[in-house]
Amino acid sequence: MRIEKHPILTFEKGETVTFTYNGTVYSGFKGEPIASALHANGVRTLGHTHDKHRPRGLYCAIGNCSSCLATVNGKPNVRICVEPLTKGMVVTQQNGRGVLKND
Amino acid sequence: MLEKTGIATVEQIESVTPSAERRGKGAIAVCECFQNIPCNPCYTSCKFNAMKPLIDINDRPEVNPDKCTGCGICISNCPGLAIFVIDETYSETEALVKLPYEFLPLPEDGTFVTGTDRAGKAVCRAKVVKVLNTPAQDKTPVVWLAVPKELSMTVRCFKIDDIYSDNTYLCRCEEVTLGEIRELIRKGYTSVDEIKRISRAGMGPCQGKTCRQLIMNEISKMTGEKIQDMPVSTFRPPVKPIKLGMLAQSEDNDDE
Repeated sequence: MRIEKHPILTFEKGETVTFTYNGTVYSGFKGEPIASALHANGVRTLGHTHDKHRPRGLYCAIGNCSSCLATVNGKPNVRICVEPLTKGMVVTQQNGRGVLKND
Repeated sequence: MLEKTGIATVEQIESVTPSAERRGKGAIAVCECFQNIPCNPCYTSCKFNAMKPLIDINDRPEVNPDKCTGCGICISNCPGLAIFVIDETYSETEALVKLPYEFLPLPEDGTFVTGTDRAGKAVCRAKVVKVLNTPAQDKTPVVWLAVPKELSMTVRCFKIDDIYSDNTYLCRCEEVTLGEIRELIRKGYTSVDEIKRISRAGMGPCQGKTCRQLIMNEISKMTGEKIQDMPVSTFRPPVKPIKLGMLAQSEDNDDE
């Protein structure tokens, strides 16, 4: 589901690119927030709370609430509501604090 | 009393209450208009000539119980929101009260609200039967409430229940509920910082950006302290989550 027509805003869409989320291949527009592409593909649950394990979805969508933290290309704690989508991104759901790789 | 509080006296209400016989026959308008003011839309809007002609525009309205059908057109036309329609034939145990309601949000059909009397005191649970809000009503919606029959001349407004419950999560990150926050305020923790330290509300990844204002609002509701007079909770940088790498790459470090 996407907003196609808006009374005020116009949407410039980038080229269509594919990416994976939890191993499933999805497509979205290059440069749009990753969470936006996931939402358009019907993905509503972006994680679970650490204590009571309740599902978490898009909440503030402006990088404030950290409700959408995910692991992107191996980096944990990425706020995918403000992170632009690029071709071939590997996004995985993050539950808990995430683990940094030792270089 | 009316001049000081806006609440009509028992005698005034009795003077406009339709007879028990008429009430038993069906819907009828009740004009709770007790001051002689130059105003006549109730008379001009009535399609059934059920309002006694206002020879002097300062006259108070009077309903002709034989002509009034209880259609309710006068409810939205009264600028003073002083006209109600009661129908004691609605059901075995309930009466219908149709009242003007110029507040938001409007209730939903079929939901339950708390019926209140003229002073705003809760008197019963009432079911919202219908909400009428047509362009002809000119932004004075009319709400139909089903109330206990004996309260047909008592219920004159209602309150929509608080949409929040004790189970509502106020701090989403640390999963602290409104009930837990209220309990802490009752125990005497009446600043955001105190509540933060004891419950962790505001210490998750959003750093309090979602719940801080909500907690202050709740403290204000329960203690009466104004939000602008409250001590602001401590903000520590970074106020937005950033990577340590960004700090490491700052210009200051490049100079070294």
